[in-house]
Amino acid sequence: MVAGTTTIASAEPAVRFPSLKDRVIAVTGGTRGIGRAIVEELARQDARIAFTYLSQEGLAEELVRQVKGGGVEASAFKADVRDLKQAQRFIASTLEQFGRLDGLVNNAGIVRDKALMLMEPADWQEVLETNLTGVFNLCRAAIVTFMKQRAGRIVNMTSVVGLVGAARQINYAASKAGVVGLTKALAKEVGSYGITVNAVAPGYIKTDMTRGIDEKRRGELSKYIPLGRFGAPEEVARVVAMLLSEAGSYITGQVIVIDGGLAI
Amino acid sequence: MINTNNLEQDVRLLIADIIEMEPNQIDPNAHLVEDLGMDSMMALEVLAALERKYKIKIPEDELPRITTVSRAIELAKRYVQ
Repeated sequence: MVAGTTTIASAEPAVRFPSLKDRVIAVTGGTRGIGRAIVEELARQDARIAFTYLSQEGLAEELVRQVKGGGVEASAFKADVRDLKQAQRFIASTLEQFGRLDGLVNNAGIVRDKALMLMEPADWQEVLETNLTGVFNLCRAAIVTFMKQRAGRIVNMTSVVGLVGAARQINYAASKAGVVGLTKALAKEVGSYGITVNAVAPGYIKTDMTRGIDEKRRGELSKYIPLGRFGAPEEVARVVAMLLSEAGSYITGQVIVIDGGLAI
Repeated sequence: MINTNNLEQDVRLLIADIIEMEPNQIDPNAHLVEDLGMDSMMALEVLAALERKYKIKIPEDELPRITTVSRAIELAKRYVQ
């Protein structure tokens, strides 16, 4: 453990979901932004965590050290969600290491914002492959395990943009709207196996993804948010934890919007 | 050591139970999907039931190969040994 680092799991969560203790949760894109907040929240809930990263090995190792420092089991796996084989290896390694799998959080996502007239096919493909095909790949890799055990929780990260659209984000909006459809269809398909599938749709959250928005613009945007501010990643992570816990036992096929009222 | 005859009978009973038919009415070579109305979800249930009963692990890739009762029996035999 890095000297002087505050341990995550030793902190008390804002809301405790006791049923998450010792549950094994796989999270994609766990090193930054909302994904990192989800890993930290699950650590505070004493869940056991396997998460993926794509390029930030140093950040991933540091996060594992922090989580483990609090006495919580955690592992980081380098995996590209765009590749089904890598998704399958991640799930298989998680099962091998932890002996079970109780939940999956499909968080990994990217943006390549541009006006349509300037958007290259590669901008479209990269976003669709990561944000939508990535969700398919991970669900495909984990679903048989969940079906066999007749239990499992899937939480997919979508976005308010997938519900209401946003200029210069047709690729991102299409991918996130796709996640909504996938979520609802899969919820219907596997509900009888005791598996819940839900999506979480954040609005403006303070992460690397929104860091590019300057202070003035941020102030302007906040005027359109009834709660008058950008959200914190922890406020999204808490809802994800709820959906993974017993508190979410009768919720499936839903899109939970966490946007301070932006999309009302 | 698991008795092979018992295993055959067990698999037949498992499948009969899942597709809700009398065990002796099932032709071992009948196609589970086309002839007996089984779907891919039911094939998974057969696989999961075999794993539970014999404490074995059958790879997911074998799922599409559970097409007849005979195939399911062959598969179970292979992994039990």
